[in-house]
Amino acid sequence: MASASYPPPPPFYRLYKDYAADPESAPDPPPPVEGSYPLFGANYTTDVVLPSLEDQGVRQLYPKGPNIDFKKELRSLNRELQLHILELADVLVERPSQYARRVEEISLIFKNLHHLLNSLRPHQARATLIHILESQIERRKQAVEDIKRRREEAQRLLKESLQTLDGQP
Amino acid sequence: MDIISQLQEQVNTIAFTMLNTFGTLQRDAPAVRLSPNYPEPAANASEETVNTAEQAKIMSAALVQAAKKFDALVAALPLSGGEEAQLKRLQELEAENEAAGQELQKQLEASEQELKLVQELFNQAADNCLNLKKPVLRVCNEDYHTK
Repeated sequence: MASASYPPPPPFYRLYKDYAADPESAPDPPPPVEGSYPLFGANYTTDVVLPSLEDQGVRQLYPKGPNIDFKKELRSLNRELQLHILELADVLVERPSQYARRVEEISLIFKNLHHLLNSLRPHQARATLIHILESQIERRKQAVEDIKRRREEAQRLLKESLQTLDGQP
Repeated sequence: MDIISQLQEQVNTIAFTMLNTFGTLQRDAPAVRLSPNYPEPAANASEETVNTAEQAKIMSAALVQAAKKFDALVAALPLSGGEEAQLKRLQELEAENEAAGQELQKQLEASEQELKLVQELFNQAADNCLNLKKPVLRVCNEDYHTK
């Protein structure tokens, strides 16, 4: 039984031989990767933008454009989905061997649905930010009011105490 | 859970229900006659055939209900303005926040000044008190020493 050994570790350890004595002699760590990088045969990217459907090789069913009416598109995709489910049921009854195309169309609709929902996330993020800013402004205004009130109270007390002291002989 | 996650969950539920429906019906459907050459299959009205019809009704009702819930969730989306409207509002809020921050800073500094003033007054008053009561204090000290 041949036992295959693991490949040896990369030979960079030799560069760090004198690290304890002189930390400067060893090379710096590599800078972080930016953009797209290949990993185990697949390409990944460090950009945080949602890849469009064409990038994933999926046909886009809802119309492209700057402003999409999300509610309308979501509803029409839902109706399409129901129609296709009925079609699949019909095909299974009449011509069972032709199910593959219908199943493909249904999965296409699902992918479009999920992509639409994912593209709503930036809008949600901005709305959350707006909400946070509004509550922060509210808190700051409240703090300003409180401080004003306390200052006036303190000044009133000071004046009263001065008057009391002056009243004494 | 926020509404977009709920919508995503609902889409997955619809897919799962559809899967269940077709799987169950396909598994439990009774045999059907394919061609006049083959004999009629034993179409006995056992409880399985009855159950299949019932199951079909129940599961299709569940599917339609899931779709309706999806529509209701879509209607509840708070999709106010477009991206530009949001960005404009963000800029306004940022300016307002800055102003409120400045105001708060001013009030804080003024109140800190007043606090220092009051503390100074307090120190002076305490010193005066001590200076007035010096003889009384010395008597107290002697008492403690004799004990």
